[in-house]
Amino acid sequence: MAANVGDVTTVLMIGNPNVGKSALFNRMTGANAVVSNYPGTTVDFTKGTLIEGNQTYVIIDVPGTYSLEPRDAAEEVAVRMLRHHPDATVMIVLDATRIERGLYLALEVMELGMPCILAVNMIDAAHEKQITVDTAELQRLLGVPVIPTTAISGEGVRSLAEMLRKARVADVMDISGRLKGDRPAAGGRACFGCGGCGGR
Amino acid sequence: MKKRLSDLAPDETGIIEAIKGPVHDLMCLGLRVGKTVKMVTKQPVKGPVVVLSGEVEIAMGIGTAQRVMVIVTPQEA
Repeated sequence: MAANVGDVTTVLMIGNPNVGKSALFNRMTGANAVVSNYPGTTVDFTKGTLIEGNQTYVIIDVPGTYSLEPRDAAEEVAVRMLRHHPDATVMIVLDATRIERGLYLALEVMELGMPCILAVNMIDAAHEKQITVDTAELQRLLGVPVIPTTAISGEGVRSLAEMLRKARVADVMDISGRLKGDRPAAGGRACFGCGGCGGR
Repeated sequence: MKKRLSDLAPDETGIIEAIKGPVHDLMCLGLRVGKTVKMVTKQPVKGPVVVLSGEVEIAMGIGTAQRVMVIVTPQEA
């Protein structure tokens, strides 16, 4: 995995505003970042530490952004963080109830060629609204680990922490090929043995 | 019937047919060609409009809404 300074890995949490990045950050690091039910609560970054296995992760909670072309100061912080940590692992956080909008940003981030992991947060809210997210299929298509989480209850947070070391660089051309169905899932290359996709 | 998104009446629904001009800002908010949108509120005097796209309410300036062409979905009787 990239971004190893000594044995510390930097993890940037990137996602749309109001998807629960700060709540997830607090869960993972025990920190106390301000959380509210309004987009744009986080306007600067917060750092926290997570020790999982023998690996230390410095997790950085980044303000929400809709794209990598900043339109306000908070979005500029997010884009600057990505630029200043080119070796970091990126944890892309999506809102399970608004998955499509999050995927637009996710693909933009994946194009940067950084190792990524996807957290599909608010999965409980999605269940309530009878929205089902096929995380296994999403994982197969994107070729990066996809973990369903609920930050407020802590569901999936442990497996998200465990899967951080399996973050992968996604190839947008491969994703496009898999979506068109004209290329098989790269002979299992998309599978990295976590069992999440059933080995597809 | 085709009209501008800004011309949809409240509660009227349409499918986005084309976006004129820059699309990036709208795409990252979840608006793209083929998406169904419903007008939620229109503020008077060229004020902003709020549309519902899937689960997401999106507010935009009237100028932006005027760049989006929609095909109006017939209202159920």
